[in-house]
Amino acid sequence: MSRKSLHRKISRRKFLGTSAAAGAALAATGTGLPRVSFADSHTIKIGFLAPLTGPVAAWGKPGLDGCLIWADWVNAKGGVSIGGQSYNIEFVGYDNEYDAAKARTGATKLIKEDGVKFIMMLGGDTWPGVQTIAEREGMLFSTLLPSDLSPDSTTLLAPCEVHPIYNVTGVEWLAENKPELKTAAMCAQDDSLGKPSVATYLAAFEAAGIEMVDAPLFFDPATTDFAPVMTKLMAGNPDILCLDTCYADYVHPLCEQAFQQGYQGQIISCTADFYQKIIEKTSEEFMEGFIFQFPDFDDPALNSEDVNFVNPNEFYVEYANRYGASEWSAVSWEYASIMDLWADAAANAGSAEPAAVLEAMKADGTGKHAFGTADWWGTELFGIDNALVGNWPVVVIEGGKARIKGFKSIPAWWNQHKDLMIKHMTDLGQMWNQRG
Amino acid sequence: MDLLWQTAVNATYAASYMALIAVGLVMIFGVMGVINFAHGELYMVGAYCVVFLYAQENFPFLLAVAAGLVFVGMVGLVMERTMFRPLRNNPLGGLIASIGFLLILQTLAVFGFGRRMGHVPPSTQGKLEIFGAILTYQRLFVIVAAVLLLAALWTFLRRSKFGRALRACAQDAEAASLQGISMNQTARIAMFIGAALAGVAGALTAPLVSPTPYIGHSIIVTAFIIIIVGGVGSLEGAVIAAVLYAFVHTFVTTFFDGVIANIVGLALMLAVLVVRPTGLFGAKERA
Repeated sequence: MSRKSLHRKISRRKFLGTSAAAGAALAATGTGLPRVSFADSHTIKIGFLAPLTGPVAAWGKPGLDGCLIWADWVNAKGGVSIGGQSYNIEFVGYDNEYDAAKARTGATKLIKEDGVKFIMMLGGDTWPGVQTIAEREGMLFSTLLPSDLSPDSTTLLAPCEVHPIYNVTGVEWLAENKPELKTAAMCAQDDSLGKPSVATYLAAFEAAGIEMVDAPLFFDPATTDFAPVMTKLMAGNPDILCLDTCYADYVHPLCEQAFQQGYQGQIISCTADFYQKIIEKTSEEFMEGFIFQFPDFDDPALNSEDVNFVNPNEFYVEYANRYGASEWSAVSWEYASIMDLWADAAANAGSAEPAAVLEAMKADGTGKHAFGTADWWGTELFGIDNALVGNWPVVVIEGGKARIKGFKSIPAWWNQHKDLMIKHMTDLGQMWNQRG
Repeated sequence: MDLLWQTAVNATYAASYMALIAVGLVMIFGVMGVINFAHGELYMVGAYCVVFLYAQENFPFLLAVAAGLVFVGMVGLVMERTMFRPLRNNPLGGLIASIGFLLILQTLAVFGFGRRMGHVPPSTQGKLEIFGAILTYQRLFVIVAAVLLLAALWTFLRRSKFGRALRACAQDAEAASLQGISMNQTARIAMFIGAALAGVAGALTAPLVSPTPYIGHSIIVTAFIIIIVGGVGSLEGAVIAAVLYAFVHTFVTTFFDGVIANIVGLALMLAVLVVRPTGLFGAKERA
């Protein structure tokens, strides 16, 4: 079609009129074009620096999705009130691909270019890339992995997930409810998530009188074929298979291999993200009784008065509507719950500045953790009291659905068995003063 | 004893899919002289063909695998025409172009299927027991397909006119060209076969792994170790090295540790390079 004929068919007036009408329609519906936020003086930006792509994305991207729901709900109610002024919250995401160098670049961009007031991270292998920036800039950071904590990083908090320490609660519940199970075998990927978790499970099993049939099996994170790993685990005929804190990409094929190689015992794992898909690959019977640590938020037990997470059941429904129920993962709610703490602290401080929020957050030594009031704790294990530790749920798959079987106290376990935890952490070089 | 048998069964499966991938990589290098860094991503594309056709669109599994073979072969043809042919006299350029292409394939996979692992239910949950070891039909498919495809490739290369042309080009491209063998034609055939083998390996193993857009990384590293051990350019070497590497890696994983298995695998490669720098079956020059 020639330029001339195009001009004949669409006049300037018609083009402008149509464009204006389309623009008005899009503005009215709020859909059709990507929304671009233009932060003004009444908007506070929060950085989200986590893996949004790659093998660890399951512990980043669903968290950002949950934060977007949190922001929509908070902003719809007028935002966060700080110092007599209401502020909307805007999340600025940066995909660090679980790479320390990219995390460093991301932190610099979020602080220098975006002007964020707080940065949430998954942590782990990415934290060393950010640590010096955090110290230099005084930026408040959060991690889901308190093994990142050290006295050198005073502005790093673990305000939600005390990975891997809460894994002791699953083992404790297992020992109380299935005392006939006496032996275990365990595998983990050889990285900064796997090793401290192995130390925790070793301590928890020892405290519960459960013997390991073999030393924990570490595998390369690049592993794609898990048949040999499962063959080795099952060789000792354990009563319990422990999948440690394996990523979802590993938990699924490990469970499938256990099923195919005829395993019929108990399985315990830190996570069981997208567990419906594991059931599809195995069977409901095989997955019955599977113990892990992360509830679906439609669980009625979360409506308890002790739980601080705001409207957990509604949050789950909204999440399922937006992204699909099968996309719910261990971290879908966690970053949002950290934002609850941050918003309370900023409101109390009357400021969103990192130092003021940090001080307000830790003011009386306690905090409103998602699963109940908890203490700022951690000197003995992390060298600094920057982890918020209290109760944690034990979740069991029953009839194809994850259900909370109870909340157990991490500090209570610690007070009884801390020597075991320190011993195993030390043996694996995971104490704060051993990590490079 | 059951443990030994189970480990041997596991190793046989691993050798099967590794051989398919490594032979494809060797085909491309042997005929075209190009180190195809995007070979792992061709495996990934094959896996995603099954994610899409079988897991999402409910086509029969074997049809999805066949489609994966053909589709990835076609992707190979596109690579040959758009990248490797213009850069035929520039092996380094071909390598760099393949690195760029792998990033494009990864990005397309992210756009098409998201960043997280694809979910592929098993096409069957049946299994056999061999001396106490369990072999699922899903894994048996991979072993049988690898044997059949590699046998068919061997027959094609030895008995057909095109196969002889491919071998001639691999031995001496200039002399083959002087004999009237079309370099473009042989390059197309080699690229289609090489890519299709990677694609079918990905398609067959999709229900057994967690396909992600980034799965090619770990695959390509293993494939390079295998072709270096076997002798770069040797198809027989690639098959034997795949079997050797798979058995060593699987047995060490089972009896020691997965991390130690990787170290032993690399040590195997280094030992072969020290004792026989051209690899177990490699000639002094590319052949």
